[in-house]
Amino acid sequence: MMGVWRSLAMLILGAMATGAPAADMGKTLRITFQVAETGFDPVRIHDYYSGTVIETVYDSLLGYDYLARPSKLAPRAAELPQVTDGGRTYTFKIRKGILFTPDAAFKGKRRELVAEDFAYTIKRFLDPKNRSPYAFFFEGKILGLDDLAAEAKKSGRFDYDRKIPGFEIPDSHTLRIKLKDPDYTFSQILAFSQTSAVAREVIETYGEESNFHPVGTGPYMLDKYVRSSKIFLKANPDYRKETWDFKPGADPRDKDIVARMKGKQIPAIGNVEISIVEESQARMLAFENGETDLEYQLWDVSTRFMTEDNKLVPDFVKKGIRLDRIVDPEITYTYMNTLDKIGDQPNPVGGFTRERIALRRAIAMAYNLGDQIRIIRKNQSVKAEYPIPPGVTGHEPAWKNNIRHDPAGANALLERVGYKKGADGYRSQPDGTPLLIRYSTTPDERGRLFAELMKKSMDSIGVRIDIHIDKFPELLKAEKQCRLMVRGAAWIADYPDGDNFMQLLYGPNAYQSNNACYKSAEYDKLYEKSKLMPDGAERNKLYREMTKIMERDTPWIMNDSRYRNTLLHKQVVGYKKHPILHADWVYIDLDKRAK
Amino acid sequence: MSAITIPHEHEVSPGLWALAWRRLKADRIAMISLAIVAFFVAMMLASSLGLVAGDWSKEVGTNYATPTWFKDDVAPPPPPGTPEGKPQDDPTVQAEPHAEGKGAEDRKDESSVVDPLADVLKEVRTETANAVQAPVVARLETLPFGADKWGRDVLKKVIKGSETSIFVGLASAVVAVFLGTILGALAGFYGKWIDDVMNWFYNIFTSIPYLLLILAIAAVLNKKGMFTIILILGLTGWTGTFRLIRGEYLKHKEREYVRAADAIGASNTRRMFVHIFPNVSHVVLVQISILVVAFIKTEVILSFLGFGVPVDVVSWGSMLNEAQSEMILGKWWQLAAAGTTMAILVTAFSLFTDALRDALDPKLK
Repeated sequence: MMGVWRSLAMLILGAMATGAPAADMGKTLRITFQVAETGFDPVRIHDYYSGTVIETVYDSLLGYDYLARPSKLAPRAAELPQVTDGGRTYTFKIRKGILFTPDAAFKGKRRELVAEDFAYTIKRFLDPKNRSPYAFFFEGKILGLDDLAAEAKKSGRFDYDRKIPGFEIPDSHTLRIKLKDPDYTFSQILAFSQTSAVAREVIETYGEESNFHPVGTGPYMLDKYVRSSKIFLKANPDYRKETWDFKPGADPRDKDIVARMKGKQIPAIGNVEISIVEESQARMLAFENGETDLEYQLWDVSTRFMTEDNKLVPDFVKKGIRLDRIVDPEITYTYMNTLDKIGDQPNPVGGFTRERIALRRAIAMAYNLGDQIRIIRKNQSVKAEYPIPPGVTGHEPAWKNNIRHDPAGANALLERVGYKKGADGYRSQPDGTPLLIRYSTTPDERGRLFAELMKKSMDSIGVRIDIHIDKFPELLKAEKQCRLMVRGAAWIADYPDGDNFMQLLYGPNAYQSNNACYKSAEYDKLYEKSKLMPDGAERNKLYREMTKIMERDTPWIMNDSRYRNTLLHKQVVGYKKHPILHADWVYIDLDKRAK
Repeated sequence: MSAITIPHEHEVSPGLWALAWRRLKADRIAMISLAIVAFFVAMMLASSLGLVAGDWSKEVGTNYATPTWFKDDVAPPPPPGTPEGKPQDDPTVQAEPHAEGKGAEDRKDESSVVDPLADVLKEVRTETANAVQAPVVARLETLPFGADKWGRDVLKKVIKGSETSIFVGLASAVVAVFLGTILGALAGFYGKWIDDVMNWFYNIFTSIPYLLLILAIAAVLNKKGMFTIILILGLTGWTGTFRLIRGEYLKHKEREYVRAADAIGASNTRRMFVHIFPNVSHVVLVQISILVVAFIKTEVILSFLGFGVPVDVVSWGSMLNEAQSEMILGKWWQLAAAGTTMAILVTAFSLFTDALRDALDPKLK
């Protein structure tokens, strides 16, 4: 009985201490993912959807101002860093009193977030055992870290206890990171959710299962979880006092958002229910039936809720539904593996001989991007001309990609470099062996549409393709081993800087983010040079030159950047899509009366 | 006096098949169903010979062109700037300006990047620029059964789809019935341990839910194509036939005519397939016709679930699969066309099967 009174007293004291009312446990935000999560260990995942959950369960050093546009860094677990030594030293002061949610790994004790946790997390990216697809964030940057990784590769064990000059921890809440060279995007990297802190005890307790035991310090915690089906989050009761206090920007909607949200506790909503629903039609109907509160990525059914001039249809307006529309800071592209061999099989699209470059160029010239935008995307995307998308530093709005849709030209090009057509209308390789391209896609309706478009485009130049179908996580796995030949991929900004896109073709990033496994000494040299430069005309010039190299070698067919049309029911308060944050719904509320 | 010979015509008593045909002819529903089935089979044959719908994949209409008879509700014209109405894959109209021309302002930096294909591309561009422009064929706003998202004629897709669906249905029914008959005959005729082993197999196959079993086999084979589907359906569909044929053989092997054959030294194989088989062949025929219907439906389910035909092949199932995301956009014609056609064929085939079973039943003589 005493225990009950004590809890009650703590609860009241807690509420008084925060000032703002705590998250309302009676409120549940219902949303969907169109692709299943792959796990919740920040270092080991590589997809947008898992990243969304991670953003809410863990804390990164830095975060973003919810309303500021263009996006602006803000303190999160730490204050904004002190940058010294000409951009080589970053000093972070971690906020005191941030607690991890209770877990058996802590053996009944409360565990505070300290500087050492971030150093441990960053080291994990380079532990070969974790096979992190984001190791490139830290490779070649922090003093002593690469040596540690090299030793681990040899010995098979990563020595986490070894002190390295790159991490100085003068006191439990101060982390000083020392870099080999100045890095102007380093703060932004540390605002990316996947660099969030994990506790060493937890990772060591769960080992290989760490992907399914998220223990963090973020606003939410994992409540219940059914793999690839449902994810239930609940507000973390120990979450630090954080009050909604963002300043309105130039957008006229901001004032209303501020008026309705200012002073509320973050998060305001007690529960989040995430359902995995792959088909757009099902998600659309669930939204219309009021089974979800907000919904996005509905471009294949967009004609149901949008007029031709991209406004919400009157029926939806009558129901109080609102539309939030931005171009995502992303590019989609179809990559062609440039390795000479895939496994031990010859790769007909790989290599850098004149013939192979011509084949890749012809494939890019034949791909009917117009149909992709018009028919598959229902005009809800813009053509990607430059590898850096709109809204990201380094984007070149006037740039026109040198490779245009021109099937007749592609046919003539192939003919001239020796890919001759046989009696069946399909071409063979210049050495006379049959030409067969393998295109990988997912088994859903969307995957089928892209496969149909690819088939149709390749038929127009007499290139035979074989459609390889597998589940999304399996394709990702094969992709990270450079085992896929041709596949469509998307990259959304981890941080709003061109570097995050230009690294996609950096040679050493093969087996991580460089899906085409492209390696060009010329490109790599320019990229390495660009890394040492701040944003500006000089760096942009390098980016343009790199883009020309990319167009010349054609490891990619540039596709598009999609509009994100987020539909909001009237009970959703304070929502505005943030270009970088995945889980921007942490900053919103639900108005129960509006339902 | 000469003997008067009266010409005597022997009345040949009609055989099982002639009687069955006579009974079938008298059944009006059976004949109508047969005509419908024959029409579909003829359509399938014509399509596989390339006489009709050979160009089903040609994009002749606009994106989701409406059915002609529904043209009051013709979709509004496409927004300006979209390439609707132009043949998308006609290379001579589609080529976009290259960056050396319009919109290349940003490419003017001094650059050391030399394109190894520059000389060939220059030649190619001159060649294509001088080529005679093919006339632009305007895409149709309406088609008899409408068009799909790529602008392909839904009527032609239905016809081409019938080729896949009916062929898969027939071929896999033949495979399944063949397997079921051989195994059933062996089990029923020999009995003993052979029967035990066969029954054990039968029990395994029937204890697994049917759809799960075929999806599991489809996932294991992991190769799309008509042949794979026929194999899957044939390998999983033999159980019903097996049970019936086994029963018939158990019954017939004890009959006098079989014992007589045994007495004159007929071999086991001869007794099984020359003596007994003709007497159970009506069961086989009815089984085939029942399975054709079932397999047409299963192929549709498989293709609907994405385990069916590859992307360059059309079947009714793949059409229904496509239609699932079209319904919500109000584009119902693909669903209606594939669904109605399939319903007509399946109903006609079922009614015909029913009549065939009645016609072949010796008890109804």
